[in-house]
Amino acid sequence: MSGDYKFDTLSLHAGHVPDERHGSRAVPIHQTTSYVFKNTEHAAALYNQEFGGHLYTRISNPTVAVLEQRVAALEGGVAATATASGMAALSTALLVLCSQGDHIVSSSRMYGANINLLENTLIRFGITTSFIDPSDLAGIEKAIQPNTKLIFGEVIGNPGLDIMDVKAVGEIAAKAGVPLMLDCTFNTPWLLKPFELGANLIIHSLTKWIGGHGVAIGGAVVDGGNFDWGQNDKFPTIAGPHYAMDGINFYEEFGPAAFTAKFRAEGMYNFGPSLSPTNAFHILQGMETLPLRMQRHMDNTTKMLEFLCDHEAVDWVRHPNLADHPGHELAKRMMPRGAGSIIVFGLKGGRDAGRTFIESVELASHLANVGDAKTLVIHPASTTHSHISAEAMIEGGLSDDMIRLSVGLEDFDDIKADFEMGFQAAAKFAKTKD
Amino acid sequence: MKHQLIDTQIHIATGGRSFSNDGEALVLLHGSGQNHLTWVLQSRYFAYRGYQVLAPDFPGHGLSGGTPLESIEDMADWVIALLDSLDVKTARLVGHSQGCLVAIDATARYPERVSRLGLIAGALAIPVNDQLLTMSDEALGKAISVMTSWGHGPMGHMHDNTQPGHSFLGYGKRLMTSNHADALRNDLKACNNYSGGKASAAKIVQPALCILAGSDRMTPIKFGMAMADSLVNSERVIMNGAGHMLPAERPAEVNVALRHFLAS
Ligand SMILES: Cc1ncc(COP(=O)(O)O)c(C=O)c1O
Repeated sequence: MSGDYKFDTLSLHAGHVPDERHGSRAVPIHQTTSYVFKNTEHAAALYNQEFGGHLYTRISNPTVAVLEQRVAALEGGVAATATASGMAALSTALLVLCSQGDHIVSSSRMYGANINLLENTLIRFGITTSFIDPSDLAGIEKAIQPNTKLIFGEVIGNPGLDIMDVKAVGEIAAKAGVPLMLDCTFNTPWLLKPFELGANLIIHSLTKWIGGHGVAIGGAVVDGGNFDWGQNDKFPTIAGPHYAMDGINFYEEFGPAAFTAKFRAEGMYNFGPSLSPTNAFHILQGMETLPLRMQRHMDNTTKMLEFLCDHEAVDWVRHPNLADHPGHELAKRMMPRGAGSIIVFGLKGGRDAGRTFIESVELASHLANVGDAKTLVIHPASTTHSHISAEAMIEGGLSDDMIRLSVGLEDFDDIKADFEMGFQAAAKFAKTKD
Repeated sequence: MKHQLIDTQIHIATGGRSFSNDGEALVLLHGSGQNHLTWVLQSRYFAYRGYQVLAPDFPGHGLSGGTPLESIEDMADWVIALLDSLDVKTARLVGHSQGCLVAIDATARYPERVSRLGLIAGALAIPVNDQLLTMSDEALGKAISVMTSWGHGPMGHMHDNTQPGHSFLGYGKRLMTSNHADALRNDLKACNNYSGGKASAAKIVQPALCILAGSDRMTPIKFGMAMADSLVNSERVIMNGAGHMLPAERPAEVNVALRHFLAS
C-alpha cells in the first residue's frame, strides 16, 4: 500500500484483520468474560501492563478492541476506550481526570444528562462546574480557576445547536494548561476531526450516528495524545506516581497514551463501565457505512431545511447551516460537509401544535434518540430536558415549543408527505393563535 | 528517572522499577525522531524480569533536556558517558534503527563496555533521501506523517494493535511530535552522514542478534541481512509481514527473541 488508508476504508477495516486460524472476514463476537493465561508469568505481565492483551472483559475484549481501534483511527487519536454508553464514557472520563476540589468549565448548551451530571451529581463529590455560553470566548477564559482541570462542551449543542469554536477554545485551554474535552456525538469524525483543531479528548455516544441503526447503546473516550500532562502540577495522578502497578507514572511510561492507560487501569478496572462484545459488534456493523449514511443524512437535511423554511405552518427553524444562525459562518468553516442532521423548529400554534404534530406523523418515530437511520422527532422540554430547570432552559436557549428532528435516510418525498400530514393536523392551533 | 549528565538533565525510562548498577545494564537505544516510548513494551517487560533497564531519551528527545546530538559518533560517546555516570561497567546494547548505528559504533570503539548487541530493524548505513531531509527541515509535521506511514507494516495500517484500543499511526505521530523541533532533522542528518558502519561491524566480536522486519520500508531487509552478514558472531530472526516499527508492531515476538538471546 502507499500512504495511509482513507476515512471510508478505515470505517470498514480499521482495527481488524482476519485471524490466521479461522480467517473470519467479519469481526468475530468474542462473547467471553475471560481469557486463558498461558502461565502465571503471562497473567502477571498482563495485569502489570507489560504487554497488551486481554485478561478480563471488564477491562478489555477483542471485539470491543476492534471498535476502539476503529474509532481511534477515524478520529486520528492515539487510542480509544469503549464504554457501555455515552454517559458512561463521559462520567468515567471526568472521574479519571478530576478529584475532590477540582473544577470544570463547561458549556451550558448541552444534552440534559451531560448538564445534570455536572450540575447535580459531580457536585456531591466535590467537583464543581462553571457553566458558560460556548460562543463567549472571553467568558470561557474568565471562568478558568486555579483548580480547573478541563474545559468541556459539545461541538454542536443538543438540542439548541450552538456551535463551539474548537480552535479558539482549544487555544484558551492550551494557554491555561488544561485539556479541551468535547462531546462529538452530533458531529461524528465524518463532519469534523476536532484533534486537528486542538481538542484533546473526545467523548462519543456511539448509540447515535456512529452505530446508526438504533440497536445498541455504547460510548467511547478518544485520546488525542496531544496534551502534555506533565507541563504543570495539575494532574498528579497521571504525571506522578499512581497507586496502581507499583506506583506507575502513566505520563513517563505511556507518553501520549497516558490518559488512556489511566482510563484502562482505573476507569475500566474500578468503575467497570464496559461495553458488551455483542453491542460492540452491532456498532461496528453500523460504522462500516458511516460515511455513506452521513452523506445521505446531510443531503436529506439540506432538503428538509428548504422544506421547513418555506412552509407556512412553521414558525421558526434553527440549524447552523441556515444563514440566520449565530454560528453559521463558524459552522461553515469548521464543518464544510454540513453541521449535522439535527434540526430544531417551532410551529405556528406553539407547544400544542408541536404536540399534535409529533402525535400525528407516522413515518417519523417519536422517541428519545438521535442519529438513527430512521427519522425521529421529540419535544425536548417535556422529555430529554425535562429535568432541567426553567431558568437553565432559557439560559440554554431552549423554548417550550421546540421540536427536535433527527433527519433520517428515508426517501425524502416520503418524509415530506409525512410531515405535511402532521402539519395539517396541527393547523388548528395555528388558527387559534391568530 | 531523572539524571544529570554533564550539563543536561535527561530522562531515562527504567521500566517502572528502580535502576541498580550491580550487574549488567540492558540499554535500549531509540531511533531517529523517536524517544524512550519506542520501548514502551520492552522496558517494563524486561525490568520486571530482573533486567536493569535503561531506555534513555537522547538530548532533545522525549523528556530529556538539551539539544539533539549531531552525529552517530557523538551519540555513541554519549551512551558511554551515560554508562560512566551511572557506574555501569558493561552493558547489553539494544538499538532500533538509528539506535543500531549508535550501538555498533559504541561497541567497535569501546568493546570492553559492551557484552552483547541486539539490533532491531537496523543496517550498517541509513542513507536518507533528500526529499525527506528537506521535509524534516521545512515541514516537520509532514515528515513525521510520512515516516510514521512508511514505518508501519500492514498490521500497523490496519490498526490491529496488541494494545487494546491503540492506534499505531496516531501514537507514532504524537510520539515524534513530542520531541524537540530539531530532533528529527538532526537525527536524519546524523544517519545520512554516518559512514563508519561497515568498518565498525568488522571489529565487533560480541554476540549479536539481528531482528529484521520482512516489510520494512525504512531500512529494507536486504540491508539488515548485510548487517547480520558482517557481524562474525550473529544470529538473525526475521519477522515476515512486519514493518520498521517492530518493537511496537510485534512486541511479543521481539521480547521473546531478545530474552532468549540475552539469556543464552
Ligand atoms: C450529545 C449527547 N451526548 C451524550 C449522550 C449520551 O449518550 P448515551 O445515551 O449513549 O449514554 C447523548 C444521548 O442522548 C447525546 O445526545
